[in-house]
Parts: sequence; C-alpha cells; structure tokens
Amino acid sequence: MSELSVQTTPQEQRELERFYFHEARLLDNRQFQQWLALLSEDVAYIVPSRVNTQVDNRQRGREEMLSVERELEGADSMGAPLREENLFHLALRVERAYKMNAWADNPPARTRRIIGNIELLQRDAQQWRVLNNFHLYYARPGSANCLYSGQRRDTLSRDDGGFRLCRREVILDYADIDKPTVGLLF
Amino acid sequence: MQFSVRDLVNEDATRISRRCWSDPRVYELEKRGIFGRSWLFLGHESQIPRAGDFVQAYMCETPVILARGEDGAIHASVNSCTHRGLPVCRADHGNTKRFVCPYHSWSYRVDGSLATIPQENTLRNKPDKSALGLQRVPRVESWRGMIFGSFDPDIVALEDYLGDMRFYLDAFFQRFPEGVEFLGAPHRWVIDANWKLPVENQLGDVNHGPFLHAALISREIQERIEELGHSVVTAPGHGATFRLMPEDTPWQEVAWGMEGLGGQLGGQEVQDWLREVQARAAQRVGPLRARMKGLTYGIYPNLSFLWSNTAFKVSHPRGPGRVEYWSWAVVPAGAPDTVKRALRTNYSSFFGPGGIIEQEDSEAWSQQYRGASIDFTDDHALYYGLGLGEEAPHPELPGLVSVTANEFYARNFFARWRDELQAVEEGA
Ligand code: FES
Ligand SMILES: [Fe+2]
Repeated sequence: MSELSVQTTPQEQRELERFYFHEARLLDNRQFQQWLALLSEDVAYIVPSRVNTQVDNRQRGREEMLSVERELEGADSMGAPLREENLFHLALRVERAYKMNAWADNPPARTRRIIGNIELLQRDAQQWRVLNNFHLYYARPGSANCLYSGQRRDTLSRDDGGFRLCRREVILDYADIDKPTVGLLF
Repeated sequence: MQFSVRDLVNEDATRISRRCWSDPRVYELEKRGIFGRSWLFLGHESQIPRAGDFVQAYMCETPVILARGEDGAIHASVNSCTHRGLPVCRADHGNTKRFVCPYHSWSYRVDGSLATIPQENTLRNKPDKSALGLQRVPRVESWRGMIFGSFDPDIVALEDYLGDMRFYLDAFFQRFPEGVEFLGAPHRWVIDANWKLPVENQLGDVNHGPFLHAALISREIQERIEELGHSVVTAPGHGATFRLMPEDTPWQEVAWGMEGLGGQLGGQEVQDWLREVQARAAQRVGPLRARMKGLTYGIYPNLSFLWSNTAFKVSHPRGPGRVEYWSWAVVPAGAPDTVKRALRTNYSSFFGPGGIIEQEDSEAWSQQYRGASIDFTDDHALYYGLGLGEEAPHPELPGLVSVTANEFYARNFFARWRDELQAVEEGA
C-alpha cells in the first residue's frame, strides 16, 4: 500500500468527508439502524487479527521486513481473523443493541470517533477505494475507558443517493487485546 | 487476616467464599497447588508440523516455547535465557533453527539446549553448555494431537489424567478421519476477571444462556437445551455438556457445524461437507455419540472446548483479577480451504474478543470479580447449591450425569480445587 492517493477535487474530498463524518456521528449517537442503511447489501466487514511475526532474515535491510501486511491474518489467510461479517452479522449486532438484555452495553458506552487521513486511492465509475484512520474513545460504565486506534480500508460505491459502504477492513493497532470487546462498529 | 483454604469452600462446596476469586494469597497457592501440579494445555500438533516449527504458550504465568525439534519430537521449554533471563523467542509462531537471546546472543536449539555462548571464545574456562539449556518442562505428552505439559515430574500419564473425558472428546475428534487443525495464532484477550470464572462458564454453565444472552438466544433454543441437555462430570474438575438428539432428528439439527453462522450461511459446499461428516458419524463414533450435539467441555484446570462453536480456549491467570483468555478457531483438517474459512466464523462471529455473544460473558466475568472483591462480605459466601445430589450414573454415558441446571460440575471443581490448595497449604 505505497501508492499515492489519486488527485481529488476539493468537491470530491468534501463529499468523502461528509460521508465519513456523518457515519461517525450516527455511530456516536447510537443511531445504528440509520448506520445500517449506509451499507450495501453485499457488504463485507473484516477485522484481521494481528500477529507477532518472526523477522524474515532474507528481508533484512528492506521495507518488506516491517510490512504491516505480514502481521495480518485476514479473510484470505488460513489464520484466524477476529471478524468476518456480512450484512446479516452487522444487522444482528444492531438488533442486539436495542434489546433489553444487551448487558455489556447496559448502560451503553459513551463513544467519540475522530476520523482523519482520508485518502482516495482509486476510483472508477462504480467504486471508490478509500483509506482513513480513526481514533475511537470508549467509556463503558463500570469498566476501564480505552482508546481504539486503527485504519479502515474501505470500498465505497456511489449512486445518486450518495455513498454506500461495500467493504471495510479494519486494521486495529493492538498488541494485546486489552479492550472489553473488539465487537464494535468501527 | 488469617484464613485457611478449608474455610473458603465448605464440605459439599455449596458455599464458596468470595476470597477464592480475589485474594492474592489464594492466587499464590493456586500457582503452586494447581498450576504446578496439573497437566496444562500447550498447543496442538497441527500448529507445529515440521522440524523447527514453534509456537508460544503459557503455563499459568510462565512463558513457554513449544517446538518440534530436528528429531521430530515435541519439546517445551521456558522462554527465559539461562544467562540473565530475557525471553529468547519473541514471535507468536514461526520456524527456526536457533533462538538467539537479544542481550548477549547466547543461542539455543529449538529443543531448548544451549548451542553457543559467543563470549566463551575469549575465556579460558569454558562453561558446561550441556547444563545451561533453557529450563525444560519436565513432562510433555499428547493425545489426539493435543499437547499438554506439566511441571510435576511425577504426574500421572496424560491419558489417565483425561480419563473418561476422552470418550466425550472423541465424540468430536473422531468424527474427522484426518483430525482437526488449529488455525493461526490464538486470539489473546485480556479481561479484568479471575481465571476460574471463564473456566466455570465453559465447564457446565449452560444455564445463563437465556438470561445473560437473552438478546440473542431465544427461549425456544433454550427449552430444547433444557429438554435434551446432559451435564456430565467424569472426574472432579472435568465436565461435558451436550444435547442427545432424538434418533429421527433431521441431519441439519444434529450435525456438528450447522449451529453456527458459518455453517448456516456457508452455502451448498459447506453444508454438503457437514452433511457428509454427519452421515459417517455413527460409523466413526458409534450411534450414541453420533447423536451428541456438543455444548461446552472443561478439562481441569483451565482448558475449555466450546464444541457448539468449535473453539478451544485456555484461561491463563495474570494475578487474581486478570486473565489472558486465549482462543483458537478449530476446523477439520481434511476440509477444503473454502470450507475451513467458512467454518472458522462459527467461532469468531459469536465468541472470542469480537464475538457477539461472548461480549456479554466477558462483562459478566469482570463484574463477578468486582463482586468478589467487595468489602464486608466475608461472611456472605456465594451459593453453589443448585441441584445438590441430583446427579447419578447413566447406563450409557460414563461419569455422573444430570440436567444442565444442576451445578454439580462447579461443586466438583471447587472441591478438587480446595483439596489441592489445602495440600500445599499444609506442605504436602
Ligand atoms: S541474557 Fe541472554 S545472553 Fe545474556
Ligand atoms: Fe455465555
């Protein structure tokens, strides 16, 4: 992932920002049902796990040696990604959120997402491939507060109604998973 | 305040002091009395198939390297250099000829023996390298590919330790001609809880399902579990829960793998594969065990097997109030990669750090630790008496058997736990 972002017009960049800021606001306001409406029907939502890999001697002195990709067990790997979900899974999470017995979120966590570094990597008539970073502050009553940090590798489609999320891969910046859950909507 | 372990768990283990989960002195006794004397799960042979392969493991808080040596044998060594004590292995898994210590570059073979001391070239007195290898785990044995280690050189053979749990584990393992495979590095989830509560949860606590998980587990599912569910204790601390499905059950309702979202959403290829496994199950594991639809298992002290969603888990203590909860997605080794990928989500969608269901469990475990740490509750022990004395032998199933609401699995665990702690307390 070393390519420069494609040239965007200020207008296009604003459109992307509008989409992401709106999405973040919906999630922080716990308007998850409205968030679901931003997803495409065949959405893929993946959270690779992140492994402490052995340094490969043959890569010494080169950038590959430290590449983030080597640490990821993603959807195509034969490892164990943390999450591999589709619209059904995500809808189940949203459904759970509004049930009386979602005890881990009772009372609900207070969250704040900051989205930045929005880069359009590739675009054609149908799809935009976009990188962006997030910091998600998470305060669950009765539990330690924590910060989630990560990169989202998104594919968006664009039609008259604006953007839809077709694919999201969330690269979480963790060493140990010392968070109450990684089952959030990042 | 002085107390004896005998005062923490009463005779029939129906009342258990909150100190059992929260007291640092109890924790120190656990390290010696339980983790120093039990068989502890280290890993699966599918993780280290070739010479030089290694994975990291823990025995309680002790870091261990599990590796396959040049000789093809399996070795377990404590991951700490004999020179100044640094860890010599830093990767979760890999393949190597040598572990090289960062500090002064002493190098060790994967079997733990010391290969080189760079400093000795300039010295007249050469150290005896054969005595300076990594500390070995004195006993390492495996069964059905499951590798265990023990710090107790005199411990009984692993097969005897597992005892009749082998009958129940085989109901799963023997379904697959090529055995099972552990995928990738374990998910390591740090939870503010005591290690025993995840263990107890997986040992037999089927009964929190419709309550803690009411957002996702419907009353009908739970009624089926209550109607068909069996809870078994093969020996104190070991237990299994499963449903025994009626003989005329349609394959989709009894087959392993169909209960999770991976099986249900996996499409034709996955379902054909699962159907085939079920079609051969009676032949492979016998008619009785072919009708078993597993829930959860526990192997004393801290290994769990979530059969319904196919994950093995280890609850590694990190002090009284912290646990590093490891879990592995497990799939049949003989399945095509596409099927394996679909089936691994049976685990990850619902369990593990990102699972929809287990986020409720981990919250409950954290809150229980807080409950166990409340002041002025020493004389208000927790109640473990549900179903006292209702378990009985069964004509076909080894062990003592009961309905799932009977908490005898937990009473048995704590009776063994108490006796083992008492033995170290009294210096036995
Ligand atoms: S501490 Fe390992 S070589 Fe010195
Ligand atoms: Fe649970």
